[in-house]
Amino acid sequence: MDHLSIYLKLGWRNLWLHPMRTILTVAALAIGIAALSFLSAMDDGWMQQIKTNFALTMTGHIQIHAEGFEDSRKLAQRMNAPEQVMNVIADMDGVRAVSQRVRVSGLASSAGANAGALIYGVEPDAEQGVSRLSTFIATGAWLPTGDKRAAVLGDGLADRLSISIGDKLVLMAAVPGGDIASEVFRVRGMIHSGVMDVDDMSVIVPLTSAQHWLSLGHGVTDIVIRADSFEQVSALAGQMKSALAGRGVEVLRWFDIDPMAQQWADFAEAYTWIVLLIVIIVVLAEVLNTMLMSMHERVREFGLMGALGVQPSQIFAMVVWETVILVLIGGVSGFVIGGGLSLFYGERGIDLSQFAIAFSFMYMDPVIHPLLRADSVLRILGASLFGAMIAGLIPAWKAARLEPASALREL
Amino acid sequence: MADALITASGLTRFYDSGELKVAALDGVDLSIERGAYVVLAGRSGSGKTTLLNMLGGLDRPDSGALSIADQDLLSMSATDRAGFRLHHLGFVFQSYNLIRVLSARENVAYVLQLQGMDKKQRFALADQWLAKVELSGFENRRPDQMSGGQQQRVAVARALAANPDLVLADEPTANLDSHTGESLMALMRKLNEEQGTTFVIASHDPAVIASARTLITMQDGQISSVKVM
Ligand SMILES: Nc1ncnc2c1ncn2[C@@H]1O[C@H](COP(=O)(O)OP(=O)(O)O)[C@@H](O)[C@H]1O
Ligand SMILES: [Mg+2]
Repeated sequence: MDHLSIYLKLGWRNLWLHPMRTILTVAALAIGIAALSFLSAMDDGWMQQIKTNFALTMTGHIQIHAEGFEDSRKLAQRMNAPEQVMNVIADMDGVRAVSQRVRVSGLASSAGANAGALIYGVEPDAEQGVSRLSTFIATGAWLPTGDKRAAVLGDGLADRLSISIGDKLVLMAAVPGGDIASEVFRVRGMIHSGVMDVDDMSVIVPLTSAQHWLSLGHGVTDIVIRADSFEQVSALAGQMKSALAGRGVEVLRWFDIDPMAQQWADFAEAYTWIVLLIVIIVVLAEVLNTMLMSMHERVREFGLMGALGVQPSQIFAMVVWETVILVLIGGVSGFVIGGGLSLFYGERGIDLSQFAIAFSFMYMDPVIHPLLRADSVLRILGASLFGAMIAGLIPAWKAARLEPASALREL
Repeated sequence: MADALITASGLTRFYDSGELKVAALDGVDLSIERGAYVVLAGRSGSGKTTLLNMLGGLDRPDSGALSIADQDLLSMSATDRAGFRLHHLGFVFQSYNLIRVLSARENVAYVLQLQGMDKKQRFALADQWLAKVELSGFENRRPDQMSGGQQQRVAVARALAANPDLVLADEPTANLDSHTGESLMALMRKLNEEQGTTFVIASHDPAVIASARTLITMQDGQISSVKVM
């Protein structure tokens, strides 16, 4: 402890021997770290938004199906007694909302046209707890309670069918036995989510009507769960999996369902590593040069210390500490600036709509809210210190291995 | 040879200077007793600094034997030699003797801290030694706020405060005016007499030579004469 205090004292004072050089280095470090923290917060905010938009547009956080349904998409693979599953999961900690669906692909026909469609039978009220579908209503209304023949469809699909509010819509699909069944609905609303798959393909009808039309009894294909937060999803899914073991169901997380979402997450991860790598390079480039210059001027002093009996390992530690102090001052100032900017723009949002129109089909909003995440901040701090260590090790090693006799001959 | 602090025999050190191998030390035999006050004289390039560096464990001979305070310096590792310097030796160099960013008190106390002395004790002892070298009131000055002579006296205080067996000084007066140089030598001589600390001082300054109790003269890497004054 006593030794640490002398390292810190010597390190601190040596840095201020050349205040201008130190200030420039600290400023360069601070700007670099500030920019990188801000970029990282943008990335985190962006990712959070994509995840939220993806999960809440349609998919939900977790889905439970009959085993194999995700691959086959066949109505034959359905849960005939969904209430048994509902009983197990509905009261679990971290479950915010649960809803049941029937999902089938079929044909939608208007008076003048046909188009392939993804048909969803949903619980009109419960659905609003797990997805934002009802909020995307662009014209008309969400499925009115009690209206068995109501249908809501994507505005893209409505265009293709040249159909308007109040028009008849005939849906056709294969029932489990293999026969084709059809049913007549009436268009009550149109949604525009910005997500192409949803707007161009989907038709939403009441769950009970779909079950009746498709002869499913009480059977459903999907139980959709919304968790309290993304962080809980994996743990919650695991808990559900073990609670439902042996019941012939599959429990899938949002990123198990859409590989695209997983790729986005991987991309964000890769981006994070790139940011960290740049942090290390910035720290190295700024600090190594300064430290080497400073070492060069102090060769004689290191020789003197060696002569006095200071161990090479102590000289090594002293130089490393000096580097760490330098990086901490620059790094912390950078964090304060970058973090402050992130918080400020996190509130306000950064409007990128001028630069890109096609954001929303990738589940992005044109307004980004940077998100300051503790783990990202700690990772950047770790990377800075790692960079500082490397930047310190080289000069420290040089200083520690100086021969006092020859170092003392230098002036 | 009542109580030899230093015994050296056949110390030889070559330097490569271009094609040539120069013997900076050429078979030096030496014995110095505890409490001695030795001046190493000889013209520039005669090998004074090289010999002093050997005695200080800062450099190793190519051949020969050396023991100080009954310890064989040549068989020690670099780490052990650093430890030996810390506990047994004090150094005063020609210039830039002090750590720039530490005050006079901190410079003296630094070595005491390395020796493991606690803060209160080492600052008290540092102040005591600064008083002995007549630097009371300068405790908080940094090296760049002191004259050359004052800096050399801080170095002397630092060397003596650590209670060494041997103080090695290389041209300690070379950067001082003659009056300041003389008073520094008077101080070292007084400390030798009062404390009984052994001094070996390399110098070609007549004032230093005049203060010698034993005068060893070097020439071309060899000892050419030893005179007890
Ligand atoms: N690092 C070195 N490399 C090459 N030659 C050296 C080195 N150090 C000293 N010498 C040579 O060794 C001889 C003795 O030098 P030195 O011990 O410094 O003499 P002095 O201190 O008496 O002036 C000189 O010829 C000098 O040039
Ligand atoms: Mg010399």
